[in-house]
Amino acid sequence: MTPILEIKKLFKSFGGLEALKDINFNIDRGEIIGLIGPNGAGKTTLFNCVAGIEKPTGGQIVFTNGGNTVSIGGKKPEAVTALGIARTFQNIRLFDNLTVLDNVKIGRHCRTKSTFFGAVVRNKFQRSEEKAITETANQFLEFVGLKGRGQEIAASMPYGNQRRLEIARALATEPHLLMLDEPAAGMNTQESRDLMALIRRIRDKGITILLIEHDMKVVMGVCERVVVINHGEWLTEGEPQDVQNDPKVIEAYLGTGAADAA
Amino acid sequence: MGKVVLQDAYNKSKVALQKTSLGAKIRISFLIVALILPFLPFVSDYILHIAILIFLYMILSLGLNIVPGFNGLLDLGYVGFYGIGAYTSGLLTYHFGLSYWLIIPFAFINGAIWGILLGAPTLRLTGDYFAIVTFGFSELVVLFLTNEIWLTRGPLGLPGIDVVSIDLTLFGGPKWEFIGELPYYYLAIAMVLVTLFVMNRIQDSRLGRAWFAIRDDEVAAVSCGINLLAYKVIAFAISAAFGAVGGSFFARWVTFLSPDMFKFWESFLILCMIVLGGMGNIWGVMIGAVVLVSMSEVLRELLPLLGLPVEGRFLAFGLIMVLMMRYRPAGILPIPAVAAQMRAGRVKRKKVKPVVGMTK
Repeated sequence: MTPILEIKKLFKSFGGLEALKDINFNIDRGEIIGLIGPNGAGKTTLFNCVAGIEKPTGGQIVFTNGGNTVSIGGKKPEAVTALGIARTFQNIRLFDNLTVLDNVKIGRHCRTKSTFFGAVVRNKFQRSEEKAITETANQFLEFVGLKGRGQEIAASMPYGNQRRLEIARALATEPHLLMLDEPAAGMNTQESRDLMALIRRIRDKGITILLIEHDMKVVMGVCERVVVINHGEWLTEGEPQDVQNDPKVIEAYLGTGAADAA
Repeated sequence: MGKVVLQDAYNKSKVALQKTSLGAKIRISFLIVALILPFLPFVSDYILHIAILIFLYMILSLGLNIVPGFNGLLDLGYVGFYGIGAYTSGLLTYHFGLSYWLIIPFAFINGAIWGILLGAPTLRLTGDYFAIVTFGFSELVVLFLTNEIWLTRGPLGLPGIDVVSIDLTLFGGPKWEFIGELPYYYLAIAMVLVTLFVMNRIQDSRLGRAWFAIRDDEVAAVSCGINLLAYKVIAFAISAAFGAVGGSFFARWVTFLSPDMFKFWESFLILCMIVLGGMGNIWGVMIGAVVLVSMSEVLRELLPLLGLPVEGRFLAFGLIMVLMMRYRPAGILPIPAVAAQMRAGRVKRKKVKPVVGMTK
C-alpha cells in the first residue's frame, strides 16, 4: 500500500538559517505517527511546509489519496486543505469573535459552494446546503464532546475546550490526514487522557494522524511510530519505546553527558 | 361570533408580539417612526433633507462596513467609489436621460467592477499598505474629476441632472417626477431597507462567515480552505457597489455634482460612523450614521451662535473619536462577542498574532 504522505529530501531555509535539512519519511494510511524533537528542531516548520503555509526550498511532499497522487510542496494552503489535509495550531488559532458553532461551520467552507448570490436570494440549493452545514457542524461538535455549547463565544471557552474546538474545525474540512501541533500543551493529566481517547477515535474513523507533541506520556500512549528530528535533520524513527531508549534521542534532548549516564 | 374572531385575532397578535425579541421591537418601532415622520407637524423640508442625508450615509456606511467591519481591512478610499457612482449616474442622466431605475443596477455592477479593478492587484498588500493604496485611489478619482474637463466640466461642476421620475408614458400612464424632499425620503428608506436586507443575509451565510474568519485570523482561515484574495476581492467589490449605488442616489437627489464633494474627508467621515457605531455590527453602523450626520447639522447651527467658525465641527468630531477610543473602543453597539466580553467585565485586548510566512 502506498503511504498517504511521502516526504522526500525536504529542505527549508529562512535566509541563512536551515530549518529543515534533507528530511525523509513516510506516513502510512491509518496510523498515528508522532513527530518529536527538542525546541527549535523544525517540527512546526515541517507542518507549515506540508500545510502550504511555507514553501519548501527543496524536495518533495507527495500526498496520495484514493489512487490520486499529488505533489503538494508549494501548493497554496487552501488547495492543500481541499485535497484533504487539515491541521491545528501550536498556539490555538480560533475565530475568537465567533460562536463555537460558526467556527466549525467555517471548517465546512472548502466542502461547500454557495456565495453572494445564494446568500442574498436564499435559493433552494443554498438553504439545503446551509442546513447540511449546520447539521454536520453539530455532529463534529458532538464528536469532540462539545455538544450543546455551540452558541458560546469561542474565545470565552476554557483552554481544553478551545483545543477540542480546533480539532472539530479541522475535522469539519473532512481530512484524510490530520496534523495536530502540540494538542496536549497546557493540559492536565485528565484532559490529556481524554485527548488521547479522542485521537484514537479520530483514527478509527479512518483518518491518518500526524502529531507533534512534547508530552511524552501522550506520545507513548497514542503513537504507533515516532519520527525524531533535531536541528532540522532526521535523527531516527521507530516504535515509541525503542525511540525513547535510543541514546541519540536522549542526547538530542538532554545533551551528551546524559546519554552516557543512561 | 364576530367577537370571538376578533378575540382570537387579538390573542394571536399578542402571542406574536411576545415572540418578537426586544431588539426586533425597537427596530420595528424605529421603522414606523421613520415612515410617519414626514406627516408630523413640526417636520419641515429641512428636517426631511437631514433625514435623507442620514439614510444616504447609512447606505454608505453599511457598504463600507464590509471591508473594515467584516474583513478587518482598513479602507480609506471608499469615497472614490461613491464619486465614481455619482458621476457615472450624473453623466448618464445628463447626456442620455437614462432612467434612475436602470441606473441603480448599472451602478451596482459598475461599482463592483471598479472594486475588482482596484482590489485584485492591491488586496495582496497587508494592513497599512493597503490603506495607503485606497487613499491614493480616492485622491486619483478627485483629480480625474477635477482635471478631465471635457467629461466632467471639472471644478465648474455638473449641474442640471434630472430628478428621479417614475415614467409610465410608455404604457400610456402618467409621468411622475420627484419634486421636493418627500418622494426622495421614501426612496431613501426603501434603499436603506434593501441594503440592510442584503447585509443581514450575507452576515448569516457561507460568504459572511468566510469574511469573519479572515477578520479574526487569516492563517486559520486559509487552513479552513478559504481563498483569502478571492474573498477579499468579493468583499471589496460588494462594498464598492454599495458606494456607487449611494453615489447614484446622491447625484439624482441634489442634481448637482462637483469634485470637491468627494474629497478624502468624506471617506474619513464614513469610517468614523463605523468606528463610532460599532465596527462589524450593522445596527451599530447605522446608529453611527445617525449620530454623526445629525451632530454635524446641529453644530453647523450652533457654532456660529457661539461665535465660532463652522469648521470647528471637525474639531468636535475629532474630540468625540478620541473620547470614544479611550472609553468605549468597540463602539456604541459592538459585535456580540465583544459585547459579551464587556459584560463579563473583561478588557478586550487585541491578541498580537505573528503572521508566519504569509507573504503570498
